[in-house]
Amino acid sequence: MTRTRRLLVGLLFVVAPTSASGQESARDIIDRVDRILRGESSHGTSTMEVVTENWERSITMEVWSLGTEYALVRITAPRSEEGMATLKAGDDIWNYLPRVDRTIKIPASLMMGSWMGSHFTNDDIVKESRLIEDYDIDYSFEGERDGVEVWEFLLTPKPEAAVVWGHIEYQVRKDDLMPTWARYYDEDGGLVRTLTFSDFRMMGGRLVPAVMDLHPQDKPGERTTVRYNSLDFDIDIDRSFFSLRALRSARR
Amino acid sequence: MTSAPWWRIGWRNLGRNRRRTLITALGLAIGYFAVVFMVAWAEGLQSEMIENGTGLLTGQLQVHASDYRPERKIYDTIGGREGTDVEGLVREVAADPAIAAAAPRVYAGGLVSSGEATTAGILMGVDPRREADVSRIMRGLVRGAIPSAGANEIMIGEEMARQLEADVGDEVILVAPAADGSLGNDLYTLSGVFRSGMAELDASYALLPIGSLQMLVALAPNRVHEIAAATTDPWLAEQAAERLASALAPLAPALEVEPWGRLRPEMMEYVRLLEGWYLIVIVIVFAIAVFGVANTMLMATFERRREFAVMLALGTTPWRVTWTVLAEAFSLGLVSLLVGAAITFPLLVWWHNAPPDLSWLYGDFTMFGALVRPVLRVEYNAEMAVQTAFALLLTAVLASLYPAARAARVPPADTLSGL
Repeated sequence: MTRTRRLLVGLLFVVAPTSASGQESARDIIDRVDRILRGESSHGTSTMEVVTENWERSITMEVWSLGTEYALVRITAPRSEEGMATLKAGDDIWNYLPRVDRTIKIPASLMMGSWMGSHFTNDDIVKESRLIEDYDIDYSFEGERDGVEVWEFLLTPKPEAAVVWGHIEYQVRKDDLMPTWARYYDEDGGLVRTLTFSDFRMMGGRLVPAVMDLHPQDKPGERTTVRYNSLDFDIDIDRSFFSLRALRSARR
Repeated sequence: MTSAPWWRIGWRNLGRNRRRTLITALGLAIGYFAVVFMVAWAEGLQSEMIENGTGLLTGQLQVHASDYRPERKIYDTIGGREGTDVEGLVREVAADPAIAAAAPRVYAGGLVSSGEATTAGILMGVDPRREADVSRIMRGLVRGAIPSAGANEIMIGEEMARQLEADVGDEVILVAPAADGSLGNDLYTLSGVFRSGMAELDASYALLPIGSLQMLVALAPNRVHEIAAATTDPWLAEQAAERLASALAPLAPALEVEPWGRLRPEMMEYVRLLEGWYLIVIVIVFAIAVFGVANTMLMATFERRREFAVMLALGTTPWRVTWTVLAEAFSLGLVSLLVGAAITFPLLVWWHNAPPDLSWLYGDFTMFGALVRPVLRVEYNAEMAVQTAFALLLTAVLASLYPAARAARVPPADTLSGL
């Protein structure tokens, strides 16, 4: 289904004579950035630090992904939350709770709810790698910013896309295709949050940003920082890994 | 000399045509009854709405940390992060003379899951023993039992139970973001199902013992979000809130004590609207009465033209004649008032104590999220009864101004000479 849709979208760009070549390549660039960060499949360990007005906490987790459709996150520390896991399969998210040994599907009404207490939402987990499917992408700036050659893109939702953002701005460095920041705006054009990428380094044979910082605009001082400790790409993994049964199995 | 003779003349003239006097007085009396009764009924409806609307869940008065509302963050407990002496606060609230009962509450938002189904819910931690005296929510039990204190037991609305396909005895999982940032989750037994009559409440509320919810969301036992209280009379809530605000101030910092009028402003606005409407009813009823009285007085003075002519011829000043007619009208008003009170008050007392059932006329209905029973319930309103009494007397006098003025200008010679 998705593949067909992507094919159709691709065809449209080829066929439609009015579609500027700029649009096509803006899309291509985002797609390429996406592919670098994701690979065909990946496996990594990371630490997530959440700072809010009321508490601070840090959790470490192991993350697997396959294509854009599947992801599995398993918490490895702290002890009280060890074994908690989140499975993403397509548009659905399940949480596994080891304490009660149950799997719970997150209902649609809570997709905008916080994921594991962070500033990321469940919706982010589902939509993280679908920018090119859900958005029309245009250049908004090309040139030098703070001495670095960059592109800036304006992502506006496609009319039929079920997304929560009014638009997204996305900056990518020209020389190594590394993203530097993404800004998320609501439908009235107000900035809601900023995602910053930093600490670009080689991991699993590619240059990737090892650190992602999410700052909500309405809560200054609050942030969620995800730092990759290790990351491997194109690992041997298939769909059966991303099943509810696998989600429940305590250890891998 | 006193003005006594003019009063006596006025009063005696009422007896001149007793049937006419009685009919006019009855008209005014029924007007009086109509106004007092309609206001009493409207107030009964209002009280019904307020008691049901606030008694279901809100309570008539609530105590929070001042920063709790409207965002209702889980961290903003009474007394802040340190918590407070919950029992002491509840005792102090319950000690107010206008407060019938008080109970602590904890709130959290989370997922309620049973089997394959999951839904978002408002988790409310209550003291199962005391909550029933404050709100009716736990009394709406349709199946099973209310959760017992200290147990991992939960009670959910009928609509939520339907969505979850869960029944009494089933296992329910709650998942809620806790106050320390972790994701609280635990297993509970569904002990009971309630029906409140409010669809959105039955679909979204889950009640569990306050200690169990505090455990789930990592709140210490001395941290609660709310103390809800029931008043002996909803109209006393505002004064009670003022008293409690100062009485509680030394016990915990930054408290907010709010009566239902501020918790449910839409209800208060409706009450204000109704109060404006009473005045309109009075004006309409007595505007009609003015013409009835004026007609009677015109006739009564017209047939006594010769009498007035004699009085004027004998040296009575026109002002005194006017005074006689007005005294008559005022006496008529007094008689009407007595008749009106005689009709109105026994009926009010009767209906106040035994409201007639009107379910044959209309069924239960909801107003501003409050269930209203189909009974003709009336409330006493002394202020309104007195105001209406003044309005009645004023009506009688106003209606006689014109007839009185005419009586005073009767030409004596012409009238006495036969025309």
